[in-house]
Amino acid sequence: MASTVNFPGTALSAAVLSDLLEQVGQERDRDAFRQIFQHFAPRIRTFLVQRRLSGAQADDLTQDVMLTIWRRAESYDRSKASPSTWIYTIARNQHIDYFRKTARAQQLDENDPHFHLNDDPAPDALVSRAEDVSTVIEALSTLPDDQRLVVDLAFKEGRSHRDIADQLDLPLGTVKSRIRLAMDKLRVCIGEQE
Amino acid sequence: MTERGQMMDDAWYMDYAAGSLDSVGEEVLIASHLELSGTASERVAELERIGAALLMVAGDETELNFSADDIFDMDAPASAPTPLAANDIDSEIILPEALKSFLTGIERDVKWEFLGPGLQKAMLWDGPEQEKLWLLKAKPGVAIPHHGHNGSELTLVLKGSFHDGEQQYCRGDVEEAGPDTEHDIRIDDGEECICLALTRGKLRYDSPLLKLFQVFTGL
Repeated sequence: MASTVNFPGTALSAAVLSDLLEQVGQERDRDAFRQIFQHFAPRIRTFLVQRRLSGAQADDLTQDVMLTIWRRAESYDRSKASPSTWIYTIARNQHIDYFRKTARAQQLDENDPHFHLNDDPAPDALVSRAEDVSTVIEALSTLPDDQRLVVDLAFKEGRSHRDIADQLDLPLGTVKSRIRLAMDKLRVCIGEQE
Repeated sequence: MTERGQMMDDAWYMDYAAGSLDSVGEEVLIASHLELSGTASERVAELERIGAALLMVAGDETELNFSADDIFDMDAPASAPTPLAANDIDSEIILPEALKSFLTGIERDVKWEFLGPGLQKAMLWDGPEQEKLWLLKAKPGVAIPHHGHNGSELTLVLKGSFHDGEQQYCRGDVEEAGPDTEHDIRIDDGEECICLALTRGKLRYDSPLLKLFQVFTGL
């Protein structure tokens, strides 16, 4: 990742974030971690709220994710993943663990109006952001609506392909083929990076 | 395009990348598959970038009621890793880490049981909708009787190989079967075969004798 374009405001480029993660990993640099925290913690919390966690649950889990980043930064390898992908997978995995533990204890209200998808910024508003992110967002914007919907339901709301078929009242095969078409297209657009 | 025999349907990879799989059973099986298949894990890594991009464009306006310094305070020395429970399954095959850590976490006593001539099973986990995660061990050359499924089945090869009709499945490969799939499985000669299977719903045999037999196997 050679991008040196800075995010607006407090935001940081992928290259800078990689440097910061390495400083945390190698030197336990607290200031470097504070910058990573400032950049990622609010986003992780938003991600968790999209996944239907309450505010208090999202607070708890965001802290756990940040603690994991602090502890495991040493294992971050910039040749393998961008910082955002590495952190995304930590947040995703911890959400799964949390969800599995609490799933039996509570029923989620699927009809809660808070659980709607929010609109992404237009691709051109992302030009100044890190290269990788804008490439992916642009690629997503080229998908036909029916394919974009399944990707959003999966990645934003955390719904499985079976769940999506139920929700949209479509045969499983139709959902699978939409996913396949979407993934093929995205692979062409984003696969050449890194 | 998905190649049957090595790769799974993209729907599974997307669910994995999005963290939206329906059950622990699916997570263990697919995580194990990704450890054993470089092509599949590269594909998932690409899809994870979608999740990362959507995370990055997620709003960052939230006022947090905690700070980085709270994280430092939370940081106590990590507890020592739990040693893996010794069991005979572990010694026979090189287990993917995902499966190993799952086995460490379950309270169940994992042991091989009779399933049929030349066949053994070890039950690992039961989920809702008659979902079961289990290990199958088969002797070389054994044929598994012609059967279908009332639900779906994912089978990941951990050791050895088998043929279903003309298609061969080796370590790391996953066979996907739906309600319409009919199997004719034969374990390849030379080595015993161990698979991690995730089934939903009961198997469906054509033969009345096997239907009777099914009562004893619990599958």
